[in-house]
Amino acid sequence: MEELELELKQEIIKVLNLEDMTPDDIETDAPLFGEGLGLDSIDVLEIIVLLEKKYGIKLANPAEGKGIFKSIATIADYVSKNRKK
Amino acid sequence: MRKNIVITGAGIVSAIGCSKGEVTRSLLERRTGIGEMQYLESVHHELPVGEVKMSSEEMKRRLGIDAAKEVSRTVLMGMMAVEQALKEARVERKDGRRILLVSGTTVGGMDLTERYYGSFFESDEHLDCMKTHDCGSSTQQIAERFRLFDDSTTLSTACSSSANALMLGARLIETGQADIVVAGGTEALTRFHLNGFNALMILDRQQCRPFDATRAGLNLGEGAAYVVLESETAARERGAEIQAWFSGSGNACDAFHQTASSDNGEGACLAMKEALESAGLSPKDIDYVNAHGTGTPNNDLSEGVALQRVFGTEMPPVSSTKSFTGHATSASGSIETVICLLAMQQGFIPANLGWQHPIEGGITPTLGQEGCRLRHIMCNSFGFGGNDTSLILSAEAPLGRKETVANEERTVEVAARVEITDEAALTEIKNYVKPMEARRLGRILKSALLSSLKALEEAGVETPDAIITATSLGCLENSVQLLNQLRDEGEQGLKPTWFMQSTHNTIGSAVAIHTGCHGYNATYTHGEDSLKWALADAEMLIRSGRARSVLVGLHDETTPEFCDIMSRLGKRDLKPLHSIAMVLTCGE
Repeated sequence: MEELELELKQEIIKVLNLEDMTPDDIETDAPLFGEGLGLDSIDVLEIIVLLEKKYGIKLANPAEGKGIFKSIATIADYVSKNRKK
Repeated sequence: MRKNIVITGAGIVSAIGCSKGEVTRSLLERRTGIGEMQYLESVHHELPVGEVKMSSEEMKRRLGIDAAKEVSRTVLMGMMAVEQALKEARVERKDGRRILLVSGTTVGGMDLTERYYGSFFESDEHLDCMKTHDCGSSTQQIAERFRLFDDSTTLSTACSSSANALMLGARLIETGQADIVVAGGTEALTRFHLNGFNALMILDRQQCRPFDATRAGLNLGEGAAYVVLESETAARERGAEIQAWFSGSGNACDAFHQTASSDNGEGACLAMKEALESAGLSPKDIDYVNAHGTGTPNNDLSEGVALQRVFGTEMPPVSSTKSFTGHATSASGSIETVICLLAMQQGFIPANLGWQHPIEGGITPTLGQEGCRLRHIMCNSFGFGGNDTSLILSAEAPLGRKETVANEERTVEVAARVEITDEAALTEIKNYVKPMEARRLGRILKSALLSSLKALEEAGVETPDAIITATSLGCLENSVQLLNQLRDEGEQGLKPTWFMQSTHNTIGSAVAIHTGCHGYNATYTHGEDSLKWALADAEMLIRSGRARSVLVGLHDETTPEFCDIMSRLGKRDLKPLHSIAMVLTCGE
């Protein structure tokens, strides 16, 4: 799981252009949205594209992402259970 | 006294018909034009669209254009609609009058560009298509066909483009800069924006259901519509039939988000209030509102709140005719204006198809009415970036129309001017924009924001009264990245951030969002004349007293791919990046 979490951090930094950040700057359990890292609705769409391309996971509705995208830990958990590749 | 502006002709090409008669019949028979795609070459057949039921080949045949000639569908539909409008208004010769074409589009010649994009790097065979890629050249091709127009211009404010074209047309006549303006817009469906909207996850896989609690997004459409505008006096002098009065208009910016409307619908509310005020009408005078009503969860909720703020307990019947036509993006404003004109002339209120379940606390749309007399109709068009425009048509001359006389004593001064041509200068953006905001800005957005914020600082203006942008190619880097992605990866998983920042008005909206400017916001994209038009518009705003400070910007960029193509077409020395931001102020 730690390996997947690190991979997700690296991918998210890349697709969201978090220019000056390294994986160490993102806490695995910290909230990604709002008060946490401060991501927004466009980032949700980017993460949805990322999940589809890298892990073959299709989300039909951005609202589905709400529960899944709380933190790196919750995304990693969802990916490990639902990945197609 | 302020000149009354009238409509003396109209033309329409849409999913529910290619003439006023056909469209009226479809509306009265409640026949939608949304269905499975027949003409767009896309893999996404699961997405219903509102296509014009005619191949481009058939359009060329009707227009007498050589079948072998490559002409964008945007241009073909535009030509058909302009032809109808001119014919109806009986404008055939110039007779010493100054006649202009003002058109709105965002996609322009993208249908041809995306078809041949891959081949551009292998051979020169289809390279000429790139000469007509930009929005301005679409308008010029339409204008040239009629040998009637003294000049033309193009507005691109995404889904409110053609509504802003109508608004500008009326202002040009009011200020004596034109005698007749043919104003409207045209937009063909493309894989480019179908996949872009799909990446933003705002397309419904079923028929769209505006204002329904179960709505799940919009269906894209296409089409064109234009009206002939002139002063009431001039129309009477030449014996033209007056179809309606163009009695009011309002343009405001939500200044909230690039692709979402604010919860309180601030921009929409301001645009509607301004339209009412300019027409000298109160909310109770409006007999019908043709809503923007796209069918996305966000738009319909926000627009409903804005409508409730404006109309309160006196809500007139409201419907979204996008349930018939699909969302024809840039052309939707003029298509819906012509639909309002038909409703007024024939005495009916178009239905809001597919509505069943009320949104909690939202508005309830009308399911259609016949045999009604509509004196004043409001038509809303809202675009990405919060470019919100509201228009009012009247069946009679508006009596209390607000007088905004241009004052020749008001002079226009350049209070500040900042130019950026060097990409290295963009590192300074960090002094103005937070890292979380700067991270996703493309090069041109950084350059536009930086030059604008520095110019405002130099002029001592925190928030300008209006923002007017000129750009010939818009956010080209993002558009090229999307074209590369479509070519290399096919129609799946387009990068949402790139699409969100690929419309021309992304630039002006980004500045509005950053400075909290809710005032007038427009984007001109008419080749090398873009800046000339932006400055002329700013001058009109200042001289009429509507604005005391206007931020005008010229922003353009190129990419290596684009420079390669253009140099093969003989156009060299394109600047990789160029921004000029000016603050114009009133110096009475």
